[in-house]
Amino acid sequence: MAFIEVHDLVKEYKVNIRNKGLIGSIKSLLIPEYTMKSAVDGINFTIEEGETVGFIGPNGAGKSTTVKMLTGILVPTSGSITIGGLSPYKDRKLNTAKLGVVFGQRSQLWWDLPVIDTFDLLKYIYKIPENIHKSNIEHFSEILGLDEFIKQPVRQLSLGQRMRAEIAASLLHNPEIIFFDEPTIGLDVVAKEKIREFVKFINKERNTTMLFTTHDMVDIEKTCDRMIIIDHGKKIYDGTVEEIKDTYGGNRILSVEFGQNYENILMSGLELIEEKGNKKHFKFAKDDFQVSYLIQKLSQQYEILDITVQEPEIDGIIREIYQGGIKLNESLSGVC
Amino acid sequence: MNLFIIFYQYSKLSLKTMLEYKFDRTFITLAIFFREMISVVVMFLILTRFLHIKDWQLFELFFLYSFLFLSYSLFIFLFAGIRDFDHMIHSGEFDRFLTRPLGLMFQIVASRVDYPATLGHGIVGIILFMFTASNVGIDWNIQNIIYYIIALIGGAIIQASIFMISASFSFWTIRVENLRNLIFFNSRRIAGYPISFYPSIIQKILIFVIPFAFVNYFPAQYYLGKEDIELFWGGYMYLTPFVGIIMFFIVYLFWKMGVRSYSSSGNSMY
Repeated sequence: MAFIEVHDLVKEYKVNIRNKGLIGSIKSLLIPEYTMKSAVDGINFTIEEGETVGFIGPNGAGKSTTVKMLTGILVPTSGSITIGGLSPYKDRKLNTAKLGVVFGQRSQLWWDLPVIDTFDLLKYIYKIPENIHKSNIEHFSEILGLDEFIKQPVRQLSLGQRMRAEIAASLLHNPEIIFFDEPTIGLDVVAKEKIREFVKFINKERNTTMLFTTHDMVDIEKTCDRMIIIDHGKKIYDGTVEEIKDTYGGNRILSVEFGQNYENILMSGLELIEEKGNKKHFKFAKDDFQVSYLIQKLSQQYEILDITVQEPEIDGIIREIYQGGIKLNESLSGVC
Repeated sequence: MNLFIIFYQYSKLSLKTMLEYKFDRTFITLAIFFREMISVVVMFLILTRFLHIKDWQLFELFFLYSFLFLSYSLFIFLFAGIRDFDHMIHSGEFDRFLTRPLGLMFQIVASRVDYPATLGHGIVGIILFMFTASNVGIDWNIQNIIYYIIALIGGAIIQASIFMISASFSFWTIRVENLRNLIFFNSRRIAGYPISFYPSIIQKILIFVIPFAFVNYFPAQYYLGKEDIELFWGGYMYLTPFVGIIMFFIVYLFWKMGVRSYSSSGNSMY
């Protein structure tokens, strides 16, 4: 049996239909009408101990609802969840004792007090033995550099510092699983990188199972072994980032700056996608043409000043999947 | 035992938070103190100039009044979280409680201590008590002292229950704090005078619907034994703690229903 097992998970919300205008509002007040909306519509997956899994999907796809059911905040409409044999909502207290949750947009630190005060309180809440509490704080301080601000009130911290403290707070009781809900939201590049490294380190060091929801594909690429794409409440992909990239990242962009403004550059294999004066961008399929061949051909016919080749970013691929531009191919191992 | 330690840790942090804003919180405390003291002074003026309540002396009326302040102060000290519960739902703090290995009601109650309100009301209560307790002919023996403490705790629980009813509505995203304040504080004002003074319908409301009569009138009558207690069943004088416990229990069931609905309908907004 896998560590986390999710079967046919469904979550339906009752949505109040609001009518337009004043009369409509009064009508909805007196005779409320509802429709059922399924936020999560039959999701299955299993996660093994020590895995790092990223959940991605457009806003409103059902990621957060799924995570809320996994953490025991919401009760599923139907289907089942077990975490280490326990039900997150029936055995809430037992389950949460081994759970850590980081909400990027909500703090669990006491706003007006130094970080260390919240850490102390958590010691009592999670019944953390004194020696473990102490060694964890020392350990995290060292890696995350908490020392420089641990005695400052949380309200004076930068967002990056606060997130570091937030993550340390969620790890103090040595949780077996930790949920990160948009952990890097609003952070600068350096702060993001620091957090990703730390998360990876803890995963290696303690074999902690980690689940992420994020909109930042770099988070997923750098920290997760596996990603699950959820859209319209259904799981549409469950596999590696690499596989998606290899399959749908087949196009390359060739950006060329010409010596003069040529009209109608025609060459087989190159498709013009954008032009700005002398600078033109072409798309080509990397499996059909070699870059060296294309460059050679171009330079024979035209005067070229500069040339660059770009790999498409995973962000772009994911965007196309959301917008329906890419239909995931059945032959991919991760497609559901 | 462990829960007491956690409660103590939480109240320590609340105190530290308050000390972060010493200046501001001192003013809030003073503001509450003066606001309540003014109501005492106004009552004093009304009672000395215009109004005579049959058989009740001034000291006795203020002894009656003192229960309201002391039990409210105790209620705020112990249960400020229940008062602020709707905020915990809207801010997502309640979701955080759900991810912790502790009881939900315990976390709500433990996570808030409002020292300014506790002190503001408490000091008014203590002043009233000091001026009246020795002048109304009460023999402060052990039994009377114990009953006094029990009555205060019972009164605090009754008030907590009233607040919890309105707190429970937050689960269905129905905001009723204004209605609650309207009902609660007006009932409290009415309960400032002996209920025998009012028409029978108001008496019945204060006994059976919003049982403020058990917060001050009946406990005070236990000590004073004024003639108008004849209007009511004598057993009421001993019921305060039971009314508190039973009411809390019933309201707690309603609240539990709310928790179930919250986690199944997920009013959480994002």
